[in-house]
Amino acid sequence: MIKIENLTKKYSKQTVLDILSLEIPSGQTFGLIGNNGAGKTTLFSCLLDLIKPTKGKVINNDVEVSTSEDWKSFTTAFLDETFLIGYLMPEEYFYFIGELRGLSKIQVDNFVLKFEDFFHGEILGGKKYLRDLSKGNQKKVGVIAALIGEPKVIILDEPFANLDPSTQIRLKEIIKDLSKYKDTTILVSSHDIQDVTEVCDRVALLEKGKLIKDIKTNKETLKELETYFKG
Amino acid sequence: MPLNMYLRHMFKMMFSLQWKEFNRGKSVGGKLVAKIFKWFGIIYFAFMAFMMGIIASAYGGPLAEFPLKEDSIAPFLYVNKQLIYVFAYLIVMRYFVQSLPVLNIKALLLTPLLKTKIVRFSLLKTVLTYFNILPLFFLIPFSFLLAQTGKFEIIGLIFWNINILGLIYVTNFFNFLLNNKDKLIYAIGGLLALAKGLEYYAIIDFTEYSEQFFYLFYSQPYAASFTWLLVFWLYDYVNKYLLGGLYIDTGLQVKTKEAKMEDFSFLDRFGKTATFIKNDLRLLKRSKRARTAVYMGIGMLFYGMIFVPSEEILGSGFLFFGYLFSTGGFLFMFGSFVPSWDSQYYPLMMTQNIEYKEYLNSKWSLMIIGTVVSTVLASFIYSFFGVNAVYAVLAGAFYNIGVNGYLTLWAGAYTKSPIDLNSSANAFGDKKAFNAKTMLVGIPQMLLPVLVYYFTSQYYDHFTGCLAVAVLGTLGILLKPIAFNLILKAYKTEKYSTLKAYKTN
Repeated sequence: MIKIENLTKKYSKQTVLDILSLEIPSGQTFGLIGNNGAGKTTLFSCLLDLIKPTKGKVINNDVEVSTSEDWKSFTTAFLDETFLIGYLMPEEYFYFIGELRGLSKIQVDNFVLKFEDFFHGEILGGKKYLRDLSKGNQKKVGVIAALIGEPKVIILDEPFANLDPSTQIRLKEIIKDLSKYKDTTILVSSHDIQDVTEVCDRVALLEKGKLIKDIKTNKETLKELETYFKG
Repeated sequence: MPLNMYLRHMFKMMFSLQWKEFNRGKSVGGKLVAKIFKWFGIIYFAFMAFMMGIIASAYGGPLAEFPLKEDSIAPFLYVNKQLIYVFAYLIVMRYFVQSLPVLNIKALLLTPLLKTKIVRFSLLKTVLTYFNILPLFFLIPFSFLLAQTGKFEIIGLIFWNINILGLIYVTNFFNFLLNNKDKLIYAIGGLLALAKGLEYYAIIDFTEYSEQFFYLFYSQPYAASFTWLLVFWLYDYVNKYLLGGLYIDTGLQVKTKEAKMEDFSFLDRFGKTATFIKNDLRLLKRSKRARTAVYMGIGMLFYGMIFVPSEEILGSGFLFFGYLFSTGGFLFMFGSFVPSWDSQYYPLMMTQNIEYKEYLNSKWSLMIIGTVVSTVLASFIYSFFGVNAVYAVLAGAFYNIGVNGYLTLWAGAYTKSPIDLNSSANAFGDKKAFNAKTMLVGIPQMLLPVLVYYFTSQYYDHFTGCLAVAVLGTLGILLKPIAFNLILKAYKTEKYSTLKAYKTN
């Protein structure tokens, strides 16, 4: 589904991303882990054509992202609060995203209703604009909006950070549910090794822009990662 | 360390914090251009004030008796007459333009810095703002030249100046209390318009009272003590007012309005363009920053009025300029900040299932809708000045739609200053409503049509001049596909650096 070839990003002389090759097959739930500054967000930004790589290319479902905009029709993402429109109410935001993905209001309503449990009664029917929601609630809205319209590729940057415990557990369930679909590819990054190993079929470890480990998740993965980060 | 030395040290540190905030802010390059332009404006206005001071000391104003009788003090009286409006205008201008000191208050709250220091620093910093200094450029030459005529008592003049300066500071501190009280400021603005109207139709002439009141400042020097007492009382009051607000759940809290759903589904028939227009309408309704664009657009409708009475002095070119601006107000005020309006969620826009073209088209459509509405209103307003005025308004509208729409949009690709839509609602909030860059892009857009009109109308007549400008506009409308392709290219090449500039928010 996603092919990365010889991708590097340099700022003046510092290399922040340097990946020779990475291939993520369709339907995989791919986890990215690494310390601060490892290049996780840079990689995701390159995948979304938000940053122009110094070298190399990203191919999303046969579309080279920096030359064509066609990937936008099947890819969604939530990286941070810059993916939210502050002056909209959550419902209006969902409708807006839905409209762009060709969904009617009723379809959006039905879809969003499935996550009422996840929203914990704090999102829908409230009288607040997104800008006035707490960080955690903003994240809930952003993550769910990224699921609207049956995208084939979903990119979530640190979806578990800043969430309360129950929401974290529920979000993991949502992602696991999604990963059952054969044609939904999910990319998730995290600081928490437990979160990624629990959710993902495959975990890649990034350090200073380089791919250090690429593991098919198994019983030993958590231990392996733990020993790596210990030191 | 003795306490006073410690405090002095703290004061210094706060200054250096301010300097760093200024110096290390976002998008330094773009800011520099804006800054240069701002300084250019500052010098320009200071110069104008200086010249006005000189002229006013000799002639008063356009309504003063002319030629002046021997020993007439008419110029002085005339200025006193107008001061009431000057001060009302000053209050309104300050509210919209003067940004109150933004210190990183929250971070300072937990430092060993006394709260009273923090507040005093923010207040004293405003003492030397431009709004307080600019009037001196008028007052000093004006008073000096009046004194030279020998018709005035020097002491009286000096105290008159001290008084005026006092009132300027009253408006300075008053601005703190007004901050974010939108309704109040619109009430003051409304009263100002009403007073002008009453004066125009000779029902009540407030300038008479103004003349008597401000003349007291000259004839009764001790009045100055009252003014300055008021200044110090107000300073003290604002001090306490701000001090009481130094809690994150009171003065520093961002007030939130209860949200209301808005549908706008009647726009749905316009397809994807409508999706964005709906959002932009919500933006204009819900963001104070964006609302200002609408208000200024409405204000600009009357811009031509300034030039109507002075056509004989300034010439028809200036009048045409006024008409051009009156239909283009919204276009410039909104359009100059495309795509900055979306700066806070630009990455979202860039990853959604939309093409740049649709996005830009929706922005352009909104600008054009605004211009059409402005044109209908302006045609009505200026129809009172005869059919020639309406021709000029319509010609200007064509040019705005056919040329200025694209130019503004195109320039937007290079305007990379992010807009903080949420900046609002507390005593320390920045509310700088417009940017000097708006004007910078505006000038070439205005000059060409004015020149075309001017030369054509000199060779032929007014109507042909208007026609020439309208033809240019129509050509622009016909060339939309080509213009859009160029704009699109600019936006595409600038995409990454724009994203980066918005990110360093």
